[in-house]
Amino acid sequence: MDFSLSEDQRTLVAMLRRFIEEKLAPLEETVEREGRLAPEVARDLFEQSKALGFYAMNIPEEFGGGGLSTVDMMLAEEQFGRTTDILIRRSFGNVYEVLLKCVGPQVERWLKPATRGERTCSIAITEPEAGSDAASIRTAATRAGGGWVLDGKKHFISDGLFSDFFVVSAVTDPSAGGRGISLFLVDRDRKGVTIGRDQPMMGLRGTSHVELFFDRVELDDQCLLGEPGRGLGYALDTLGRVRLGQVGARAVGKATKILDLAVGQARERRQFGKAIGEFQLIQKMIADSVIEINAARLLLWNAAAAIDAGRDARALIAMVKVNASETLGRVADRAVQIFGGMGFSRDLPIERYYRDARVYRIFDGTTEIHTAGIARAALKSGGALYDPVEAV
Amino acid sequence: MKIVVPVKRVVDFNVKVRVKPDGSGIDLQNVKMAMNPFDEIAVEEALRQKEAGKASEVVLVSVGPAQAAETIRTGLAMGADRGILVKVDGPVEPLGVAKVLKAIVAAEQPGLVILGKQAIDDDSNQTGQMLAALLGWPQGTFASKVVIDGASAAVTREVDGGHETIALKLPAIVTADLRLNEPRYASLPNIMKAKKKPIEEKTPADLGVDVAPRLKVIKTGEPPARRAGAKVASVAELVGKLKEAGVI
Ligand SMILES: Cc1cc2nc3c(=O)[nH]c(=O)nc-3n(C[C@H](O)[C@H](O)[C@H](O)COP(=O)(O)OP(=O)(O)OC[C@H]3O[C@@H](n4cnc5c(N)ncnc54)[C@H](O)[C@@H]3O)c2cc1C
Repeated sequence: MDFSLSEDQRTLVAMLRRFIEEKLAPLEETVEREGRLAPEVARDLFEQSKALGFYAMNIPEEFGGGGLSTVDMMLAEEQFGRTTDILIRRSFGNVYEVLLKCVGPQVERWLKPATRGERTCSIAITEPEAGSDAASIRTAATRAGGGWVLDGKKHFISDGLFSDFFVVSAVTDPSAGGRGISLFLVDRDRKGVTIGRDQPMMGLRGTSHVELFFDRVELDDQCLLGEPGRGLGYALDTLGRVRLGQVGARAVGKATKILDLAVGQARERRQFGKAIGEFQLIQKMIADSVIEINAARLLLWNAAAAIDAGRDARALIAMVKVNASETLGRVADRAVQIFGGMGFSRDLPIERYYRDARVYRIFDGTTEIHTAGIARAALKSGGALYDPVEAV
Repeated sequence: MKIVVPVKRVVDFNVKVRVKPDGSGIDLQNVKMAMNPFDEIAVEEALRQKEAGKASEVVLVSVGPAQAAETIRTGLAMGADRGILVKVDGPVEPLGVAKVLKAIVAAEQPGLVILGKQAIDDDSNQTGQMLAALLGWPQGTFASKVVIDGASAAVTREVDGGHETIALKLPAIVTADLRLNEPRYASLPNIMKAKKKPIEEKTPADLGVDVAPRLKVIKTGEPPARRAGAKVASVAELVGKLKEAGVI
């Protein structure tokens, strides 16, 4: 077992890191200050990245994407984690794998335009009354003629102000509970779709998080994504790869970048006549961060390799979600400590990283929800979950 | 016309190098390596010449350990056509590299060899000039602009106090300075294509070249630490101190 990167993986990672450092990092402070990324700047980034084949690298080549394996995509996502959410979205695309459920005319209508970057997509599952308990949503779609009628509301929908269409979860069979939920492709310009307030957040400045209202929205038959009743299953399964990349891998990348800065500070900052890195209490924070980041990355690669091998990776993805986001939280917290007052000051980006890090433990299923899922799986399957000899 | 571009694997320019405690050299353990930045500029220039229809093929050569194949692969991902790795473990001096390159040039018959003006590890700034001498070819060093026109090339050179443009008869040697161009990003499709591009492996013995070092490194040391300065209250005091130090 050799975990070193191949030549092409190294080149890809080096190019992405260079793109991020040269083109994206210089924009971060402006976005933070202005709360938005200017549309013409966003357009320019998109065009540059697209020309290099860096947009929608997760989508298979037959649909116009980069066709990366899951492992390679996680290496890319880790690099994405070194910049901010909005800059990643515009430069590299958040083209959700659930769109691969598109068939027939859906491919030309939603999947390919999203992969080309002509149409942007958001995922709309959470409702004010249904967060962790995603099966308790009230948004519903009822059969009407050859199509559906959608009613209900969502909130906290990332990038909703910019998006051209939404993947919306809705109850289609109220008697079937969690198995009665389906996913729909809903264009924002449909009659009855209202984009509500941009809900202000602690971090992730520049990305909108909106309320969505559906008032008797008529949907044609093509709007049902995948099979009816499988919506929650897709959220665990195809959206699982999104969770692995957009939360797990990006958390690892962010933690790595933050630790780089903390190590630099521990080397340079002198107090009591020596570098603060010579104090054991500072060393402990650094060593713990190094260990935790390496462990999180290996768990991430393990889950990614399992997906590439066609194995059921759902429990592994949950482990990565918990471990990587909690690691990021601890590393960001220690970085503030190592920087002292400068860590809390707005003159340095450490406080911004700290704020941005916080949501990783919350969105895409909280730490508690995934932890409970892991425990349930372990109680059911035993060693298969934690012993390679038992694993299938 | 073929263009040959030699590329060297060096310590990444971001790395703060440390001298080994026994002074025998630089500590390269756990240190990130990358293509010499001036060689990246050379690769970029060759690719631009090819894209402008002035060259038909760009061939990369690296003299170094097995891992130097990675450096070649980086250049192939930028768009070069193929690579040659001349495998040598241990240090090779500029003269050794120049002799290897002379043998490669004899086999490949390029119209132009573009090198970096120097490698950022030892900063020798010798290989291009030595190669030109060994081949008896004209050379345009520290190039900030290269215009190929038929059988000759106009090379603008960065010299003290300005620019100088010289005309070289091809085949010729050019060494790239910082302002020649800005190297491109390797695109995802090119990174994937690079995997399939050939890298031929050779040894100096295959080429009949002896690369044994001719120089002996006696000691490597850290640059002296800067000492704290002194403040002076007046110009008179400053002049006094400078006289005291014997500098004026
Ligand atoms: C910045 C941001 C972006 C988001 N983007 C999107 C998006 O694009 N699309 C989308 O659909 N949603 C999005 N969300 C919503 C996000 O996924 C939810 O906030 C998250 O799933 C938690 O739901 P909740 O906020 O309703 O919290 P709640 O479910 O109310 O949870 C509150 C607390 O109770 C705990 N808890 C709940 N149930 C249990 C239990 N069974 N056992 C133990 N503890 C429990 C939780 O862990 C948490 O600590 C986003 C949220 C944020 C903050």
